Amino acid sequence: MAKPGDALLFSVVRRDHRPWLLMLNAAVATTGGLLLPTALASAVDMALSGTFVLFTVVWLLLLAATEIVGDAIGIVLAASATSRATAWLRRELSRKLLALGHPSPFAAGDAVSRVTGDCGNAGGIAVTLITLLVTAVSSAGAVVALALLDWRLAAVFVVSVPLAGLLIRTHMRMTADDVLTYQEVSGEVSARLLDSVSGLRTIASAGIAGRETNRVLEPLPRLAAAGAGMWRTQARMMWRAGLLLPAVEVAVLTAAGFGVMEGRLSTGDVLAALGYAALGMGIVGQMTQLTVLERTRASAARIAEVLDTPVPRRPAPKPSDGVIELRDVSVDGALHDVSLQIPAGTFTAVVGASGAGKSTLAAVLGGLSSVDSGEVAGHDSVGYAFERPALLGSTIGRSIGYGTDADEVQVRDAAIAAQVHDVLVRLPHGYDTPLADAPLSGGEAQRVGLARAIIRDPEVLVLDDATASLDTVTEAKVDEALTTTLPGRTRVVVTHRPATAARADLVVWLEGGRVRGTGTHRELWNDEDYRAVFTGGQ
Amino acid sequence: MHFYLSTLAGHRKGVLVLLAWSLLEGIPAFFGGKLVGSAVDRGFAAGRPLAGVLWLLAFATLAVVGALGQRQVFARLGSVVEPMRDALVARVVRGVLSDPTHRRTPDASAVAMITRHVEVVRDATAGVLVQARALLVTTIAALVGLATTAAALIWLVVLPIVAALVLFGFMLPSLAKRQRHAVMADESTAEASGAVLTGLRDVAACDAATEAYEDIARQVDRQAKATITVAWANSLRATVIAIGGFAPIALLVAFAPPLVSSGQLTTGAVLAAVVYLTNSVNPALHGLARTTGTVVMRLMVALKRLQEAAPRTGVEIGDEIPSGGDFALRDVTFGWSPEAVPVVRDLSLDLRPGDHLAVVGPSGIGKSTMAGLLTGLMPPDHGHVLFGGVPVHRVAPAVRHHAIALIPQETYLFTGTVRENLALLAPRATDEDLVEAVNKIGATPLLDRLGGLDAALGHGGEGLSAGEAQLLALARVYVTSASVVVLDEATSHLDPAAEARVERVFAQRGGVLVVIAHRLSSALRANRVLVMDGGRPLLGTHEHLLKTSALYGQLMLAWDPTHREETPLPKR
Repeated sequence: MAKPGDALLFSVVRRDHRPWLLMLNAAVATTGGLLLPTALASAVDMALSGTFVLFTVVWLLLLAATEIVGDAIGIVLAASATSRATAWLRRELSRKLLALGHPSPFAAGDAVSRVTGDCGNAGGIAVTLITLLVTAVSSAGAVVALALLDWRLAAVFVVSVPLAGLLIRTHMRMTADDVLTYQEVSGEVSARLLDSVSGLRTIASAGIAGRETNRVLEPLPRLAAAGAGMWRTQARMMWRAGLLLPAVEVAVLTAAGFGVMEGRLSTGDVLAALGYAALGMGIVGQMTQLTVLERTRASAARIAEVLDTPVPRRPAPKPSDGVIELRDVSVDGALHDVSLQIPAGTFTAVVGASGAGKSTLAAVLGGLSSVDSGEVAGHDSVGYAFERPALLGSTIGRSIGYGTDADEVQVRDAAIAAQVHDVLVRLPHGYDTPLADAPLSGGEAQRVGLARAIIRDPEVLVLDDATASLDTVTEAKVDEALTTTLPGRTRVVVTHRPATAARADLVVWLEGGRVRGTGTHRELWNDEDYRAVFTGGQ
Repeated sequence: MHFYLSTLAGHRKGVLVLLAWSLLEGIPAFFGGKLVGSAVDRGFAAGRPLAGVLWLLAFATLAVVGALGQRQVFARLGSVVEPMRDALVARVVRGVLSDPTHRRTPDASAVAMITRHVEVVRDATAGVLVQARALLVTTIAALVGLATTAAALIWLVVLPIVAALVLFGFMLPSLAKRQRHAVMADESTAEASGAVLTGLRDVAACDAATEAYEDIARQVDRQAKATITVAWANSLRATVIAIGGFAPIALLVAFAPPLVSSGQLTTGAVLAAVVYLTNSVNPALHGLARTTGTVVMRLMVALKRLQEAAPRTGVEIGDEIPSGGDFALRDVTFGWSPEAVPVVRDLSLDLRPGDHLAVVGPSGIGKSTMAGLLTGLMPPDHGHVLFGGVPVHRVAPAVRHHAIALIPQETYLFTGTVRENLALLAPRATDEDLVEAVNKIGATPLLDRLGGLDAALGHGGEGLSAGEAQLLALARVYVTSASVVVLDEATSHLDPAAEARVERVFAQRGGVLVVIAHRLSSALRANRVLVMDGGRPLLGTHEHLLKTSALYGQLMLAWDPTHREETPLPKR
């Protein structure tokens, strides 16, 4: 059955020459490995004959060296092929996810797990395939070698193969139940821990950490029981596996013994038979590779799903001498037939209850996200700042200049305008502090986000509740700084604060994804429903 | 690491039993070569097939005994590994829940990580126990067996193996270092892609897809390089072990001819020696190489991560007994770090039973700090928070937790009955007490809908709205005997009417009530208001603050800008 990811896996294997090198190397090493038991048999026969034959010993060393060096090269080649394929898949996938843009059809956590987990799995395709092939070839080769020694040996061996298959099947069945129980109980402990972690402040203030620990750990005995069950299953499995190889060995050895007695085989050949029996059984241990192959294909399908998602159409906004105009704009589930005009250089406030579509409108206004229907005309120089900005880049300074080639001076000026310079210079390494080591409060992160918008010197500034965590005094300072640093720009502000709405030239009042009203704050304030947006219905 | 080893040592008996069974497992390794050698030498080659078959049957019997030993080893593994896992989980959970800082609470993904790390420790411990033990037992048994059959050659066999093991030991630190780099590169890749993919909106807003792509690609390529570096080390390690395993065989056959012709070595002895090496020693050596490389490294990393997730727990100290239920704050200053601008500065305040204080200010400014200071969870940097005349963080924990109750914004509900959830802080409360509290809070319709006190709640109050969960948390504290109640935005998900009712019943309950306000309307109900707006805290009645503080007026104006300052705001 072809899966959607198979074509992708095929192209992963084809784009690099390393899988071929790996295959070539494996062919050489496997040949060496297949010849080795015979060479060892000759060497032992030589030793037993009491005379040293240089050629026999050199041949043995040569074959062993071939196998050892081949294995060593194989380890590096396999890692190289896998990691390059993984890196290629990760780059392609990231590129595509970035092209899909905002809002992404794939949840962030899911996308990350595709980039980290699935690409890692799928990258191993060449190695998995070659491992399977090599195992099959060397098992088959071992049977042929046994037959060449004495057909009876091969016959005895082949009878044992179905036994091996049976063993693997029962293994799969036996573990499934235990593993399921174990995972369920383990999940229960996790869920309980998550409950308690969410209530940490309650627990700390009431001093009940001990009691709550016991509550979380309540299912532990069941977990231990399930775990012990898993080990017992494993023990039964090992018992069978532990018997299988000796059973095959004894069978082959007995056949070989009679061969020695009847002169068909030398003493050394007994060792060769033993070696080939072990080699032939190798396929039993590698059966798990089939599971790995299935997992690889499933991961590839998840990657292909992203790569095959069409990039939403994002036509360049029509130039419109500064006026932003929306005509019958709809975004599935968020905005319905929104039409409005925002004149150049004005200060517009967007208000509405949570879930009214304010952020979506803000995103559409500046071309941040695409629309499902309708038309947007506006500017292509838009700066955005958000309530909870995701700060990106290596250092805090770089996070302000992110996506631009701004120098240190510009970064600092933007931070000063956003009233956050004083905070940043107090960080352990100032502007060069790595983002991960910069503990910023919500309000500080918001101001860094503002600086990031200011540094782009945009024609239109969209602030999506971007000063919500600032105290009134700081907010006023930021406001003032924006007016002086970026004079005369169009400003669209999503806000919950009536004072901000009161300062705006125009208020757009959204309700349920539609424009409920437009006008000045004072005009709209007479409407009880409008007041309710700010007072929560009091 | 220390904890891990001491836990393992705690199960010394289990480990010893495991080793005892291992001896059984080592029996085939000890006799195997000798029996195969005898089967050929004294049986088949000597023209006595029956003897040959019997020798081989003896080999088979020993293999069964060995497999039995192995079976026991695995069955016993549970009695070492599972208790170890239990102890580890218990310690981590206790650590997480007793973390005295609780500033950065782990989220769902962090909890999932904890579970994963614990599983890694469990599997890796089992893996190490199986492999290291097998290596030890098998190698020793085979070498002893070899010494008894081919004593003349023992040094040819032992020296290369010991040399390989020593070399391998020397290579371990560099291998570990490379592995650690690879693990770190792995994490950086996850972090870089996580940061960009959770911030796609901001990437689009900054028009920075190229830079974002480069940030990810840089880590991805670094990780690929690190993986290949590890592979080189692994390759070298595998070569050393393979040579160490094969050299004895080559030396054996090269040096055997003169010994065989002089009669010092029999056919059986040579056969036995080769079988010992190929069937026992070599597989054990390769097992060792595999285990140390990956499993031990994974074990170390997981243990380190667990330690970070759950730091050593601090024990609550304090033995002061307060006299009375008054609070007195004197010049209290608190900041998150010595460098940071303080959140609370020079605050002095008295709270007596019957007082109702509202703390107002913009969100994110640190109002919750007040909750931390009053409950004694965070001692002030300067000044004193006195409860009944003694510093509140030094009051005996049992007394403090009974007298002062905090209801935070994020509700704690766990899986169990409604009764268990309601009686969390008052285990001795009767059903009547609980129902009465629920009624006072105004949650009787909710209790009826759930199906009474015996109804079961799912994880995290599944099926309840955030407001309903808050009602249960409020009733839970109402039923306690706490004389000080701090509501830290505990009514944020209630509608204004329900919020007003809750604040009223808590005010009527007596004692001290502190409301850290989500809505400014809470200030109108309090008899005193504390304004936190980043500067010096302002304290006074609503009317007094309106007259004296421009900031308070501004705040109230921001709440309702249509009213003039001189005719302020909804009446109380």
